[in-house]
Amino acid sequence: MDDDRLEESLRAAARDYHTPPATPRDAMWRAIDGRRRADRVRRPARRPWIPWAAAAAALLAVGAALGRLSAPGTASPGTTSAPVSAPVSARATAPRVNEAAYRMATLEHLGQSEAFLTLFRASLHTGGRERLVTATARQLLASNRLLLDSPAARDPRTHLLLEDLELVLAEIAQLPADASAGDRKLVGEGMERGAVLPRLRTVVPAGSTPTRGDL
Amino acid sequence: MDDRELIGRVLAGDPSAERALYDAHVDRVFRLVYRMTDDVHRAQDYTQEAFIRGFRRLADFRGDSALSTWLCAIAVSVTLNGLRALRRLREREVGLDEAPALGTRRPEADPDLRTRLASAVDGLPEGYRTVFVLHDVEGYTHEEIATMLGVQPGTSKAQLFRARARLRVVLADFARD
Repeated sequence: MDDDRLEESLRAAARDYHTPPATPRDAMWRAIDGRRRADRVRRPARRPWIPWAAAAAALLAVGAALGRLSAPGTASPGTTSAPVSAPVSARATAPRVNEAAYRMATLEHLGQSEAFLTLFRASLHTGGRERLVTATARQLLASNRLLLDSPAARDPRTHLLLEDLELVLAEIAQLPADASAGDRKLVGEGMERGAVLPRLRTVVPAGSTPTRGDL
Repeated sequence: MDDRELIGRVLAGDPSAERALYDAHVDRVFRLVYRMTDDVHRAQDYTQEAFIRGFRRLADFRGDSALSTWLCAIAVSVTLNGLRALRRLREREVGLDEAPALGTRRPEADPDLRTRLASAVDGLPEGYRTVFVLHDVEGYTHEEIATMLGVQPGTSKAQLFRARARLRVVLADFARD
């Protein structure tokens, strides 16, 4: 076969390779629209109470981190509130404090998630079944969704990590109590695929205390 | 209405804009995914997943590439992950030695050149096949492929060169038969 015929055959192979059928537009749209509606119900994007709820959750979660940060020899995150009577310069620091609080809350959450996923992954090998697994996954999932809707998720990398973490946590939360080893292993594989644990460990190195600026 | 305007409306929560954006890009995405899977149900699943992820991450789209390229990048990632999971599942079911490559047809079952070439493309290593489908079948440039796959354009060119070289061997064998 000469070069010209070879090239023509290659072009023909490319042209005819797995010729697609007509796009099933409406069928696919129904499925997409259904899941998008569920997304909107689950995470109403611009309801005014969400930032406040996120802030409350973040501040609750960040308590421990704040305590550690204010320990002697560690940089303080600054004033935690800016009263109206405070000087203008003090009030101007409030947004930065708020930002730092979100960052710390996110780190705290990612640290807890990393510990939980490590335990979950270990349970895949040992076959152990903790009754608290799905309950804990649900709690973490709730925090995760609040953080996704908060300013903490403005950073694209953090946003992506939180989204991928959400998928993993949702899968674990939906595992029935009598889930087979195969089902649990599939969830584990989903976790490996997104490299969620290594990414979490990059953000929250093992044994370290989350500090400001780690995200 | 252009993509930028549509994106703005989607981000503002307009569901009709989501449908318009979907309509504008779904053919291209579905066609690509189908070429990679050769299975209409899987192509539907992966296309749906790609759009859902695309909508969820739309706020992160910075406009460095065309929206269609960005959506296709998501679709390629979803498809490759799906095919890998499927391959692992099949390998577990039938044992490593017996697992056929995904979508591989037996060339001896149909000696027709077209079928044989399709089999040869199916049998290419994942990276080669992906670049071959994106470049030679779907007509993306190496720069676009590099953006989609997160590699250098040179890597894309090299993989296409190797893919074609392997296909030429198959064609030469066929000519000898």
